[in-house]
Amino acid sequence: MIEPVALDDFFVNVFSAATIILAGASYAALLAWGKLTRRPGFLILAYVSYGVLAVSVWLLAETSHFEGFWRIIAGLMLIGYFAAPQAIWRLCTVTHAGEHSEHDRPIINQQQEGEQS
Amino acid sequence: MNTTPLWASETFWKKTAIWVTAVSFLLLIVLTFDSMAKVSAGSTARVPAYSVINKKIDYRLNAKLNRYVPVVESDAPLFGKTLSDEEAEKLVTLGKKTFQAKNCINCHTILGNGAYYAPDLTKSWLDPNWVDETNRETLMLAFLQDPAGNARSYGTGRRMPDLGITEDEARGLIAFLKWTAAIDTNGFPHNFKTLYAQENQ
Amino acid sequence: MSVGVLDSRNLNGGQKLAVKYFIVAMVLFVAQILFGLLAAVQFLAPGFLFETLDFSVNRMLHINAMIVWMLYGFIGAVYWFLEEESGVEIVGLKLGEIAFWVLTAAVGVVVLVYLFLQIGAGDDTTRWLINEGREYIEAPRWADIGIVAVMLVFFYNVAGTFSKGRWSGVSGVLTLDLVALVGLYLAGMFYTTNVTVDHYWWWWVVHLWVEATWEVLVGCIMAWSLMKLLGARRKIVQTWLYIEVALMFGSGILGLGHHYFWIGTPEYWFPIGGFFSALEPIPLVAMVVHSIYDAGVHKFKSTNHPALGWVIAHTFGNFFGAGVWGFMHTLPQINLYTHGTQWTASHGHLSFFGAYATINIAFFYLAVQQWRGNVWMGANLADNGWKWKWSMVLLNLGVVGMTVALLIAGYEQSFIERAIEGSTWSGYFAAQTHPWFTQAMFWRLIFGIVTAVGLVLLIWDLATIGARETRPALVIERPEEPGIKAAVVETA
Repeated sequence: MIEPVALDDFFVNVFSAATIILAGASYAALLAWGKLTRRPGFLILAYVSYGVLAVSVWLLAETSHFEGFWRIIAGLMLIGYFAAPQAIWRLCTVTHAGEHSEHDRPIINQQQEGEQS
Repeated sequence: MNTTPLWASETFWKKTAIWVTAVSFLLLIVLTFDSMAKVSAGSTARVPAYSVINKKIDYRLNAKLNRYVPVVESDAPLFGKTLSDEEAEKLVTLGKKTFQAKNCINCHTILGNGAYYAPDLTKSWLDPNWVDETNRETLMLAFLQDPAGNARSYGTGRRMPDLGITEDEARGLIAFLKWTAAIDTNGFPHNFKTLYAQENQ
Repeated sequence: MSVGVLDSRNLNGGQKLAVKYFIVAMVLFVAQILFGLLAAVQFLAPGFLFETLDFSVNRMLHINAMIVWMLYGFIGAVYWFLEEESGVEIVGLKLGEIAFWVLTAAVGVVVLVYLFLQIGAGDDTTRWLINEGREYIEAPRWADIGIVAVMLVFFYNVAGTFSKGRWSGVSGVLTLDLVALVGLYLAGMFYTTNVTVDHYWWWWVVHLWVEATWEVLVGCIMAWSLMKLLGARRKIVQTWLYIEVALMFGSGILGLGHHYFWIGTPEYWFPIGGFFSALEPIPLVAMVVHSIYDAGVHKFKSTNHPALGWVIAHTFGNFFGAGVWGFMHTLPQINLYTHGTQWTASHGHLSFFGAYATINIAFFYLAVQQWRGNVWMGANLADNGWKWKWSMVLLNLGVVGMTVALLIAGYEQSFIERAIEGSTWSGYFAAQTHPWFTQAMFWRLIFGIVTAVGLVLLIWDLATIGARETRPALVIERPEEPGIKAAVVETA
């Protein structure tokens, strides 16, 4: 079922797992910030972060001896961690649309509705 | 807000939240029924019947599974007395209740869960620390009833306190630990060599 | 209404009850740190308090105090906003008051029994009256029943008050979450000899509390706070609450599988636990993205700087503690080595602090502000607000320091004890005497003391902040600044 991590790969394994989450978050954060400020430099950095994430997933998969189903998990991580921040960003802009006129996301002509529950 | 697309609307996410939660929970229930059927004592080889304490327990490498699995071998009754299923369950129950009553888990771990101040007890019955099986039961009984007097702290200075364990309770604990040692824990703790393995090498 | 003076006339009925909960929570927070320090000393000097107050007792009190103070904080926070959110007075305030005293008395008795009786004979009486002996849920059975009764009173007040007043998305999620919270506790209230079955259900309580229902409860508290304090728009806040619930429960419920690798349960839990563990960081990343969005788009006028500071600490702490530290050792290929080592303690320290302690502290600041007549807590506080700033620095530094020290110890333990020595007792002790381990335990104690100093400052600050302050709080006139996780402090 599983082939445990080899002694020599210990550090790489743990470090790559942590890096996946860190790079994933910085990819997400830089993507959001880049789109928000419309500065392409941040977007480039975001995709660099994703590149780091992808390499880390590969390292994790190698050192964890991923086979069969586990390879699918690695593939899903590559796709999911790429798509999720994009989707979350879209959700942010669309759910917040309509509350402000002065900022971006031209989907909706805003209206200031009163807060009421 | 008429122009909010469906996938970003409050109602969409409300329904999604409800469905996701309900489906996840339902799956968990189904899996729980299945797991329970497979881990009740004696139902499968994973968690043996309590009467396994009448047998010799060892571990052997299963090449197909790529891990050590428990093997139940010849007769080796605990304290030299073969017990019926009911008697065995009663003794293990006394041990488990003592295990809880003495708050063992807040220093030790068992199945890897607990505190990390003292060693894991999952395979303690088979630990090479007992050297071989000749004196194991005697040593365990003596240790549990007078831990400070029989302390083995391997240079850490950590000792087990006197918990007022009676002889009956000690016998129960040993039965509980012997039975626990026969649970198939998918190879945890990793690479563990039983006291027999050290003999055979 | 005089500004700057602690006066219960500044509070509504639920809020008066809430501050009682908060005060007990702080007392238990002190107890948590105190017993944690004693246990930390025992790693270095095992003879310290031997057979008087053993490690097992200190460790049990350390963790139980934490669980209970967090619950007190959550219950208090809900009572705090119950009347405003429902629009009516609490239906059973008197009953709630009695329940508070019953619960507090029960907690007191349990602590005394833990301290002075500690253990009992290996029979049913011990489990009913002294100690159940199951990690984190050691409370004897009589106390379990009391806790459930008190929680039912709490639930009655929540559900009843919303039914009488008005329902909303926040209150709906909150009420259903409380049903789950109480229901799950019942899963830990039975005896079984089969240790595999025992741990199976024990994880239902432990995991489904802290990685699912607590997270959602905190989400509700946060949602209300953001509407109240930053004027966030209800429609948006509620949409995001639902999104978080979907992500949290969608990943967290079956994420339970990562606790079923090694307890005797079938092998199919490997792929289930692995897959859902990989999903679990996504809600945390969602919070980070949303914070960035809010920070960039909106200029927050924060009415309460300390509270907002702790909310930011929450976002980061939750992400690092639960996300990074959790995923780092969760897949079975590595967890086989790390399970049952100080690695888990490292993860536990950062994630509980980051996810729950922070949010409770933030709420305490909100409560104190209102209690003092909605006093100014923005920029230019008396003495430059050094107390809250330093307590925040010291508490965070202390917890992060302990986390890193324990990580080093855990790494060494996985390596020496498990990988090299093959998990025998002599392997265990070889790892415990290794210099990496002993030095890590030394630094853990040092950072524990730093944490304790931070806590003293925090208490001092909570007791004095806003005193003799004459400015009323900044009023946010219009709900124009939405957001789920605020991340920018702007001086008004």
